Amino acid sequence: MKKMTPGRLVLVVCGILLLAGNIFLPQPVSAQEEVTTAIRRYKEYEVSTGYYEEYEAKPRHQRPFVEVPGVRRGIFPYSPTAARVRVRTRLADSHQGLKFYNRRRCEECHVQETKDIHTTRANLTCRQCHGGEPIASNEHYFSPMNPIRRHAYVCAKCHEGASASYASYVVHAPNPSLAGTLQSFPVLFYAFWIMIVIAVGTFALFLPHTVLWGIRELFIKKEKTDREPDDKD
Amino acid sequence: MSPTTKTRIKRFTPLQRIFHLLLMLSFLTQGATGLARMYIETAWGKGLSRFFGGYDFALTIHIYVGIFMICGFVFHFLYMLFKINWKQFPGSLYGPDSILFRPKDLKDFFQHIAWFLGIKKAPEFDRWGYWEKFDYFAVFWGMIILGVTGLLMAYPLVSSRIMPGWGLNVAFWIHRIEALLAMAHLFVIHFFIAHLRRHNFPMDQAMFQGSAKLDTTRHERPAWIARLKQSGDLEGALVTEAMPAQRVIYYVFGFVAVAVGLFLLIGALINVSYISW
Repeated sequence: MKKMTPGRLVLVVCGILLLAGNIFLPQPVSAQEEVTTAIRRYKEYEVSTGYYEEYEAKPRHQRPFVEVPGVRRGIFPYSPTAARVRVRTRLADSHQGLKFYNRRRCEECHVQETKDIHTTRANLTCRQCHGGEPIASNEHYFSPMNPIRRHAYVCAKCHEGASASYASYVVHAPNPSLAGTLQSFPVLFYAFWIMIVIAVGTFALFLPHTVLWGIRELFIKKEKTDREPDDKD
Repeated sequence: MSPTTKTRIKRFTPLQRIFHLLLMLSFLTQGATGLARMYIETAWGKGLSRFFGGYDFALTIHIYVGIFMICGFVFHFLYMLFKINWKQFPGSLYGPDSILFRPKDLKDFFQHIAWFLGIKKAPEFDRWGYWEKFDYFAVFWGMIILGVTGLLMAYPLVSSRIMPGWGLNVAFWIHRIEALLAMAHLFVIHFFIAHLRRHNFPMDQAMFQGSAKLDTTRHERPAWIARLKQSGDLEGALVTEAMPAQRVIYYVFGFVAVAVGLFLLIGALINVSYISW
């Protein structure tokens, strides 16, 4: 057996350390980044936010039969590819596959979306904001309606200088009185009901008060004075 | 009764009457322009907005009159700071001449209701009744709520830099409900108290002439008159009746304001089911 030279000893120790490090230490930093390549991690991120991502890049192709465990839409497993095919909010053409689509009107399906100020008062048509066919889903990566560019591509057409914050104004605002708004827009729900309680409370107090007062004053006895015959007191 | 005899007791200074006058004019303008836009889907709202130069110009008027009201509010606040009796501060804030609420107002309120029902004697009001104090502070809180939400919506590009843009959805509803509350309160309750109840029928002259009839005031606010008598200030507080021509103007003006208010109230109520909320 050859004698262990110091150089060889250093190499062996380094090799052992590398092997041990590979097993026991965490992955290198590059593996902890937010990436689209590691299938499982990307989908978990997607599920947790409901958005694809905040980057402009389109995620790379996914494997169709890889599922997110425990998450389903109907009978289908949830996967990024499945979402791209079946979830309308992710499609490049959100009306893809709808029967007789070219003969239908927007408001036949989107009834609530016709009742906001932009539509009823400013008389905007749907297409003035949502554009021509195909209308991409709001959350599609390249949609003008995607929140990352909506302010510049849509709002700023009329509201010059609109910022991303400005574009977070809810154009199709929900009816603030409905219970569903508590889920979708809780601040609006609470603000509405607090104001209603103040308004109704004021009237519940002062309306009967005023009516009773008016009636009661009809029954004041006129005191006899020698000043003026028509004095009211 | 000739205008030379002092039959009336002074209640408001000329500046306070000007405050009320400007508030009346600007409030009615805000109510009319606001409702014109809110009811733009109906013929009534279209007609109303046509009077103000259309849907867009009604908003321009609404914003500038709103800014004018905020300026008036700030001016009134400064005026109030000057009017406070700082020598006896803070006790003067809770005195009978102060517009601030004090415990007696709560007692008066319940005694007044007991009087409506024939249970107790009428309370002896001092200078300001609790309903007058409530009206004053209703304007105060309304000004702050409507002013802040109105400014946020008038300059959305600026306001969405200091808060998220969806805050404007919230501001819109707060502004709308508060404005409807304010209009309903004024056009129903304030008008009833100032015009229709027997004590003031057909119109309370105090805010326009600046003075009220001594005889009726002695009946309604005995504590105030007694206090003035005791301090010997009653004679100094007495004034003469305004000239007949002036009174005619006051009456016409007051009734026009009532007519405008009722027009807005009734039009809004009739058309309430024809707009999308």
